[in-house]
Amino acid sequence: MTDPLVTVDGLEKYYYENDTLLDRLTGAEPEAVRAVDGVSFDVREGETLGVVGESGCGKSTLAETLMRLREPTGGSVTFDGDPVFELSGGDMDAFRRRAQVMFQDPFSSLDPRMTAGEIITEPLAIHDVGTAAERRERAETLLEEVGLSADQIDRYPHEFSGGQRQRIGFARALAIDPEFVVLDEPVSALDVSVQAQVLNLLADMQAERDLTYLFIAHDLSVVRHISDRVAVMYLGEIVEIGPTEEIFEDPQHPYTKALLESVPRADTDERDRVVETIRGDVPSPRDPPSGCSFRTRCPELIQPPWLDAPQAAFREISEFRTRIENGDIDVDTRWERVGDPDREDRAAFVDALREEAFDEDLPDNDEETVREAIRALADGDREAAAATLRERYRSPCEAIDPALPAGNHPDACLRNEQPADVEAAREEWEADHDAPEVGASSR
Amino acid sequence: MSHGRLSNDRGGLRGIVRGGSGGESPVISPRTLRNLRSELSRSLLAKFGIAILAVILFTAVFAPLLAPHDPTDQNLDNANVPPLGFTATENQTTSETVDGEVQIVEEEVVVNTTAEHPLGTDSLGRDVLSRTMFGARTSLLVGLFGTAIAVVLGVTVGITAGYYGGRVDDALMRFADVMLAFPSLVLAIALIGLWGQASLRIPDPLVAFGIASAEMPEDIVLPGTVIVVVALVNWVWFARVARGEALSVRDQEYVKAARSMGGSDLHVILRHVLPNSLTPILVLATIQIAAIILLESSLSFLGFSGAQLSWGFDIAQGRQYLSSSWWIATVPGLAIVAAVVGINLIGDWLRDALDPGIEGQGGAP
Repeated sequence: MTDPLVTVDGLEKYYYENDTLLDRLTGAEPEAVRAVDGVSFDVREGETLGVVGESGCGKSTLAETLMRLREPTGGSVTFDGDPVFELSGGDMDAFRRRAQVMFQDPFSSLDPRMTAGEIITEPLAIHDVGTAAERRERAETLLEEVGLSADQIDRYPHEFSGGQRQRIGFARALAIDPEFVVLDEPVSALDVSVQAQVLNLLADMQAERDLTYLFIAHDLSVVRHISDRVAVMYLGEIVEIGPTEEIFEDPQHPYTKALLESVPRADTDERDRVVETIRGDVPSPRDPPSGCSFRTRCPELIQPPWLDAPQAAFREISEFRTRIENGDIDVDTRWERVGDPDREDRAAFVDALREEAFDEDLPDNDEETVREAIRALADGDREAAAATLRERYRSPCEAIDPALPAGNHPDACLRNEQPADVEAAREEWEADHDAPEVGASSR
Repeated sequence: MSHGRLSNDRGGLRGIVRGGSGGESPVISPRTLRNLRSELSRSLLAKFGIAILAVILFTAVFAPLLAPHDPTDQNLDNANVPPLGFTATENQTTSETVDGEVQIVEEEVVVNTTAEHPLGTDSLGRDVLSRTMFGARTSLLVGLFGTAIAVVLGVTVGITAGYYGGRVDDALMRFADVMLAFPSLVLAIALIGLWGQASLRIPDPLVAFGIASAEMPEDIVLPGTVIVVVALVNWVWFARVARGEALSVRDQEYVKAARSMGGSDLHVILRHVLPNSLTPILVLATIQIAAIILLESSLSFLGFSGAQLSWGFDIAQGRQYLSSSWWIATVPGLAIVAAVVGINLIGDWLRDALDPGIEGQGGAP
């Protein structure tokens, strides 16, 4: 039960987009899309490890790379002691028999031109197991086992409902008696009532056949229902991993907390709860944030040691700073709104933008710094405005990339326990940066 | 008749697909058959197209039994006879000896039609109807075999390019683009010039077994070079379509699933990519048969095919008599039009019935 069946170590899958002939000729640096960016975890024999995360966080790429359907750009996967990425010939064949995948889409995961029987026996045919008659018999048994009837064996996929198709997909995954099944969002496309049936089927089969699951989903309640342990992914990285109940009852990473917080619950007490959603969009994996990848949306962004502002105010200032740095604030329209074509009434501009950008009251010092930055912005000096804010409000989260420590329930957040080298980097960073004087950079 | 033909075609395709994998199901599902049938019952044009092609096919196969004359039989006394219901005049020069003097008389004579040659005769007195019937054989042989070779070649290249992608795709498709850059007729003439006009003579079973009159030509001429050349000129279209299909099928989850089970590339291509790419290829094939028949006629018209019994050849023969004996070129010309229109109508029917939008979406039958 406790031996890892699958060990993933530092798995990376980067896609290089700028790799056309023209780019190669001009020598342009290929741009990496970091779909999976250094992921490590174990799947223990007989358990279900759930992987959750928003769409686009790299869950499915993780599954496909782990199964070697895509070639990884780094890292390794060990299956029962064998290095998966180095297998070839008969050893690779054995791996392909022992590990199977069940896919998400009930429509595209089954070949529309094959009957249910042909679909289920395909792995047997590929590995040349049994005679045609034996395979057919096996398919009939499997159909019954997954809750369909054996006389549906000659039907085509379009004659089945979504839930039935997923059952066929599952029967196909089980046909060759695997030990490990990757379930890539197996119920995401199904109605809620059907989801529960399929989940129960998955659980029953696991108990019956001692299967090990890697269960990928974006629905937290589904993952909670079926998983023994849960890994939370954000932007190609695992930010927290631990036993299911601990993750749900005592989440450590701010992202996990925010994710759990954002789920509406079926409870009358909930009616008036303001669901605190995660702000903003997932950053592009083409250009992930420096340091902690969640910092651009993190409600618990760490303040620099010299600062002691209310967290909400600090967060607003940080977001304002990001907008300035990205050039998202159009100074011209703001001036127009102030109604001063000669751009002389700087005070009015500052007041207007200050009110627009902030809901919170700011402490005096911070109020002064923010206004100084807006004044620079009013003069059209975006760089100076950004520098003013950056000086005082830089967070260690921007500089230090947190790591996932070892242990039963680790998480990758600088607020929590971190490996020694990350702690050391943080101390060094704090020593290198001093508090700036308020107003020091104003003219 | 027409239905039988089509299912034979399908059997042929199935044979190709089954080759490596050995499953049991038809490539074309029962649902597709239903679509074909319902679309056929809805479309008058489709029935019309099938009827035309059925007539041409029947004529081509049984030409020695149906044709009234040996198409190569010359009779100069009976030259330029117009079709039934038409009259034609001819300038005749005769010399007479009157009173010891030779007089040259030019007179206009009326050439009478005869029931023996319902569509008239050409300048050498050969029966136009018989020639047109036998000409159908050349056109259909070149059309079917040429298309078959083009399909095999184009689909192999296209699916390889689409499935593997990357540099393989770049290399194969740039080569295909180069082929596209040549006008097809020019390319065909160049290739024939390079290889000569080889043809294969196959004894006609109808004549050999004495079913048809022994006066009929005893061989079916299979214009080998022309068939290969029209295939080489037209395979690119199949390659492009097959590549596009393979590109989209490649990303389907059932392909990923097959690979995750350990299916080899060959298995995935034969079992999944090819069967799921076939529909538009089939539609394109019908249209290409028509295009190839036209190309063959052009080559024969220009005298490059070496065929002596072909619609295009007959048009070329009749061209110089167009002002006096219009039927020599017009009858085979109408035959080409009928064949091309018929085949295109069938292509439209297949396209409507096998619309990929319906295929694979599940739901509505």
